Amino acid sequence: MSDLDAVLSAFRDATGCSASVWAQSAPHDPLHIEGGDPGESPVPPPEQRPAEGSIELETKDGLQVVARVPGSRAAWLSIGPTTDFAAARLGAKLLLPVSAQVLRSQLEVSHAAQDLAERYEEINLLYSIGEILGRTVSLEDAATTILTEISETVGARRGAIYVIDRTVGLLRPVAVLGAAALADIAADDAVAVTARVFRTHHALLVADGAMQCDVEAPIRRGAMLSVPIMWATPQGGVPLGVVNLSGRRGGQPFTASDQKLVAAIATQVGTTIQNTRLVRASLEQAELTREMALAHDLQMKLLPPQDSLAPDADCAARVAPAESVGGDFYNLFQLGDGRVGVMIGDVSSHGYRSALIMALVMSATAIHARGSADPAATMGALLVSLADELRETEMFMTVCYAVIDRRGGTVTWCNAGHPHAFMVHGDGSATRLAATDPPLGLVDDAPHAESRAWKADDLLVFFTDGIPDARGTPKKRLGEAPVLDVVKARRAEAPWRIVDGVFALVEGHMGEMPPRDDQALVVLRTTDLA
Amino acid sequence: MSFTVKKAGDVTIFEVEGTLIVGNRQELKQKVLEEIEGGARKVLVDFEKTTYIDSSGLGVLVSLAKKIRESGGDLRLANLNDDLQTLFELTKLDTLFQISESRDRALESF
Repeated sequence: MSDLDAVLSAFRDATGCSASVWAQSAPHDPLHIEGGDPGESPVPPPEQRPAEGSIELETKDGLQVVARVPGSRAAWLSIGPTTDFAAARLGAKLLLPVSAQVLRSQLEVSHAAQDLAERYEEINLLYSIGEILGRTVSLEDAATTILTEISETVGARRGAIYVIDRTVGLLRPVAVLGAAALADIAADDAVAVTARVFRTHHALLVADGAMQCDVEAPIRRGAMLSVPIMWATPQGGVPLGVVNLSGRRGGQPFTASDQKLVAAIATQVGTTIQNTRLVRASLEQAELTREMALAHDLQMKLLPPQDSLAPDADCAARVAPAESVGGDFYNLFQLGDGRVGVMIGDVSSHGYRSALIMALVMSATAIHARGSADPAATMGALLVSLADELRETEMFMTVCYAVIDRRGGTVTWCNAGHPHAFMVHGDGSATRLAATDPPLGLVDDAPHAESRAWKADDLLVFFTDGIPDARGTPKKRLGEAPVLDVVKARRAEAPWRIVDGVFALVEGHMGEMPPRDDQALVVLRTTDLA
Repeated sequence: MSFTVKKAGDVTIFEVEGTLIVGNRQELKQKVLEEIEGGARKVLVDFEKTTYIDSSGLGVLVSLAKKIRESGGDLRLANLNDDLQTLFELTKLDTLFQISESRDRALESF
C-alpha cells in the first residue's frame, strides 16, 4: 500500500466517503490511479476535470467533488459520490494539500531515481574503462574498446582517439569509430579542432557546421565534442592526445555533463598512456641492463684464467671496467721451455668501442704470441693485424708485453707507450719497464724490445692508468707512487693478496666517486724451475 | 676546457686552458681542422694553462699531427708542465712531437 492509499483509506474509514487520486505520467498519457478506490470514486471524463480549483458534480449516487491537485503533473482528486456533502467538501480541503505533497515527493523520488540511473551508467562506464585500462599495458590494444564504451554512453556514433607522437609533432589516430582510417593531424595545424584542443588543453563543444576541417570531416556529423587527454602533473598537466565524439543520436548537441564525463575518462586514458610509456621505458632499460650485464660477462670470459701460467708462475689479475665493458685487458701465455708471457693493454677511451678493439686484440694475440717468444715480433704482428681498424676508428692503445725466461734469468719486454709497467725486486726497489715505442696505432714503425735480468724474487707489476688516475674528488688523483708502495710493502705475499691490497687502496681513495676509467692490474711471481 | 686562437706571424697558436679529455677533444680538433682548411700550416698548441690530458686527448694530438703533416704543415707543442712532460716521455709520445719549453722557443723553431 502506498502512502497515498493509506491516507485515502483512513479518510474513508473516518467519514465513510471514498476518495481517489488520478494522474498523468506525461502530457497526452492516459490517467492512471495513484491511490484510493477507482471503483467507488471514479475519475470523471476530461470535460469534467477542472484546470484548477475544484468542481462539484451531482450524480445519481450523490455529490462528487473533483479538484485539480497543485503541482507540475496533471493530477486530480476525486471524492465521492456521497450523500454526506459536508464530508466531501471537508475531504477536498484536507486531502488536496496532502495529495499534492505526496505526488510532489513521488516526482522528486522519480527524478532522483532517473538521475541515479544516469549516474550509475556513468560510474559504470568509468569503472569499465578503469578495468580495461588496468588490464593493458598498450593503449592501442584498449583504445577501440574505450572509444566504443564512451560513444555508447553519450550516444555518439562517430569518434576518434588521437595520441601525440612528439618525435614528429603529429597527432596520430589510435582508434576510429564510424569512419574509415583517419589521417594524422599536425599538432600545430591552424584549422583542425583536434590540434587546437591539444594546444590549448581546453575541451570544445563545436556546433553543427562550425569549424569544419577536411581531416576531421570523416567523423563529423552534426556537433562535435573534442576533449584533451591530459596527464596530470604538479605543474598543471601535459597534453598527450585528444578524444573526439560526433554524430549524436537524434542530432542533439553534446551537453556540459557529457563533456565532464568524457574529460574524466580522458584523464584515465592520459594516465594509462603515461604509465604505458613508463612501463615501456622501464622494460627497455631492464633489457639494456641485461644486455650490458651479458656483455660484461662475455668480455670477462675473454680474459684468461689467472692460473693459466701454473705451475711456471703464480699470477693474479683483475679488470674493473668503468662501464659494463671497457678497453683494459691482460693476457697470459705459456710459451714452453720455462718461459711465460704477460701482456697488459689499454685501448684509448672506454665503453663499447674500446671493448670491440679489446676483443680483436685478445684473439689476435692468442695467435701471434704462440708463434714467437720474441715480444717485439708478437707486437709487430699484432700491429699489422689491427692497423686498419685502429686507423679507421682513430683509436690507439698502450700495450706492454713481457716474456720471462726463467731458465735464462731474463725478462724481455716490448712496451708500446704503456706507462705503468714495473718490476718490484726482493729488496723493495722498483724498476720501470720503460716504453720502447709510442702506443700502437700512432705510428707504423715495427715495435722494439729490451731485456734485463730476472730473479726468482722479482715481481712483475703491470697496471693501467685508471688506477693512478682514480680520484676521490675531481682534483684528488691517487697517483702512481701509493700503488707501488702497497706492492712493495706486500711483495712477499701471494700475488692475489697484493691485487686485493691495491684495489682496497683504490676503492678507499675513490670513496663514493665512480671510476672515470677502466682499471686493470696484473701481478706475477715466477716459481723455481723444477 | 676552453681555448683561444691567436696568430703570431704565419703561426696559428691554440692556447688550451683546463683539461683536454674525451669530453672536449673534438672541440679542439674541429677548430684546428677549420684553421687548416683556412690555410694555416704552422700550428702551435700551447699547454701553459693545461692541467691534464687523457688518452683521448693524446689521440687527438696525434691525429691532428698526421692531418697537418699530410697538408704540408707542422704541429708543435709548447709549455708542457712536469706531469704532462712525464706523460709524453713515459708513453714515448715525445718522439712523435717537437716539444718546446716555451712559446717563444717554439715560435723560433718553425
